[in-house]
Parts: sequence; structure tokens; C-alpha cells
Amino acid sequence: MVRRGLILFIFLLWPLASESALAHGGDGIAGGFLGGFSHPLFGPDHVAAMVAVGLWGAFLGAPAIWLFPVIFPLVMALGGVLGILGVPLPGVEIGIALSAVLLGMMVAMAARPPLLVAALLVGAFAIFHGHAHGTELPRGADPIAFSLGFVVATGCLHLAGIVFGLLARWPYGRMAVRTAGGVIAIAGLVFLGRFV
Amino acid sequence: MNASRIAIIALGLLAPPQAADAHVVIEGVGGFPGGLIHPLLVPAHALFLVALGLLAGQQTAAHRRAVFGVFAAASVAAILAVTLAVATNDADIMVLAGAALAGLLATTGRPLPTIVPAAIAAPAAGALMLDSVPAVVSTSETLLALAGTALGAILLSALVAWIAASPRYPWQRIGARILGAWAAASAILVLALRLAK
Repeated sequence: MVRRGLILFIFLLWPLASESALAHGGDGIAGGFLGGFSHPLFGPDHVAAMVAVGLWGAFLGAPAIWLFPVIFPLVMALGGVLGILGVPLPGVEIGIALSAVLLGMMVAMAARPPLLVAALLVGAFAIFHGHAHGTELPRGADPIAFSLGFVVATGCLHLAGIVFGLLARWPYGRMAVRTAGGVIAIAGLVFLGRFV
Repeated sequence: MNASRIAIIALGLLAPPQAADAHVVIEGVGGFPGGLIHPLLVPAHALFLVALGLLAGQQTAAHRRAVFGVFAAASVAAILAVTLAVATNDADIMVLAGAALAGLLATTGRPLPTIVPAAIAAPAAGALMLDSVPAVVSTSETLLALAGTALGAILLSALVAWIAASPRYPWQRIGARILGAWAAASAILVLALRLAK
């Protein structure tokens, strides 16, 4: 059954292995994917916030643990659409830094708000992250490969947070997860300091 | 094979050759084999087929068969349209919209009325065929390539549906929903980029 899951995953990633068919003009599909995949990874503010989403999801348990990784990319895509269409969103970078601060604090304080509130908070910050990605989406790269690359990278960062967050099942692990949340919140404050 | 299907194929074969306004599938690989692998080689097509497969995999077996029946019928209709010189440069938009909708619905993880996935599959499958017309002048070669594309598309999507249909562990259902979200997010972004051009 694990194999089935892997096969499914491979099929989703299949487009990335595609060579360009001539009329589709997708030069550099692999390059587009790598560019998209590395895009969130080279933004420490993005990384901190994504990992915090995973940590918090794991901390809250089901259904948040899987709801956040579903909600985040979808709302992020809507933010990306705003960025692509040139719709201005004030304070995007501040919003991204704030997402690290607040989501990190939620984990550090072991906050357990109602699921709807938590989902709204995560979704609201996803708009800022998506807008930043959409604005920076390089027009020359293969767009599907690029967008799939950064969506997958975002998912992997969530997964990293979830895996670490699962340590919260044990007392020492819980302390480690809350500490990690605190570190992310402090890092977010540093990011925020750049704009103040 | 019933009479109407034979009539459609015969009409297609008898239709006068039209200039194909599209592309070579792969240099040196044409005809049926080229068409067969075409859906795997065009990212937008593969994304739609995976998303549709994820969605179909969440439906009952009877509904899955209906969805792929509609997919096949829409593909045949589109092939017929190609022989009648129907062409568009914007078919990829419909394919991407299909990927976005199928991915979005796959995130719900719920069985839906057959009409819903079928209504996504039909126009997107037709658009996929219109977006796959090879750059050859011969009508028979175009038909062979498109027949291959239809078969390849259904096989790919059905394979994904088969994998998604029989999860043994809960996390596999969750994984399918997350993959649906990724597919939808990617398709929405590319759709915006395409429409912003």
C-alpha cells in the first residue's frame, strides 16, 4: 500500500519529468521545477512560517494536521493569482514576517483555538506568501513546472514541520516542539525588524 | 461497436484533410505511439489527468466507469470535430480549468454525484484532444495520433484512479486530498498566468 502511495506521488510529479512538446514552448521544464522548488527554500521567512504551519498542525492533531496542508496551498494559489494579475497587496513582506511570529507563538504557547479560527489564521497568512510567489513568478520559466515546484516545496516544508511536531506526543518532545515554535517566533521578529 | 460509432469513425476518415495547426508530438515518434505518450509529455495534460484520476478514485466503481465513459465519448467527439477543421489556440485553458476543478473537488475527499466529475471530464477531455493535434497534414495520421492520445489519457487517469480508489490506510486518503490541493494550486496559478498574458 505504501507502494501505491508512492506511485500516486510519482504520477503527480510526472509533469515535471516531461520533455517539452514543440508547440507548448516549455523550455527548461526541469529548470522551471527546480527554480520553483528552491524559491521558498531560499526565503528564510517562508521556511520559518511553513515549518510553523506543520508544527502547529501536528500540535493540534487531526483534522488540523492534514487540513492545514490542504488549505494552505489553495489559499496561497489565490494570493498568487493576485500577484500575477498585479493586484497590489500592501505589506506583503511584513505579513510574511508576521506569519512566522504569530504561528511560531501559537506553537510556543501551545494555543488551541477552534479549528475554524486556526484555519482562518493559516489561510490569511497564505495569501501573503502566495502573493509574493505570484509576483516573483518568472515569466520565462515553464509555468506549470515552476508553480508545481514551489507548491511541492511548500508541502515538503509543512511535512517537515509535521514530522517534527509529532514529537509532541511525548513530554520532552512537546517541550522541543514548543521551543521550536519560540525560535520561529523570534526569527519572525528579526524578519519583522527589517521593515520597522 | 455500434452503428453510430462506426458512422462517426467513417465520417472522420472520409473528411477532407485539413491543415493541422499544432505541433509535432515528439520528433521521430508519430502516429499512434506518439499520440499514446503525448499526455505524459505535456505538463498541463498530465496535471489534469492526475487530478481527474484522484477525483475519480474517490467515487464509487460505477461512477468511475461513467466518468471514463464520458471522457471517452468526449474524446471521440473532439476527434470528429478535428476532422471537421475545428481548432482553437485556447484549449489549454479548458484543460487547466479542468485540472483546477478536479483538484479542488479531490480535496473534499467525498463521493459526488456522477454528473459533477463527468461535467469536468467532458469539456476538458475534448479540449485536451484539440490541444493535442499533431502537425501533420494527413488526416489518417492525425486520427491515429489522436486515438493514441485518447487511449493514453484514459489509461493514465484510470491508473491514478485505481491507485487512489483502494487506500488501505487513512493517511493514503489524506495524501490524495493533499495531492489534489497541490494539483489545484498549480493549475490555478498557471491559469492566472495564462489569462494574464
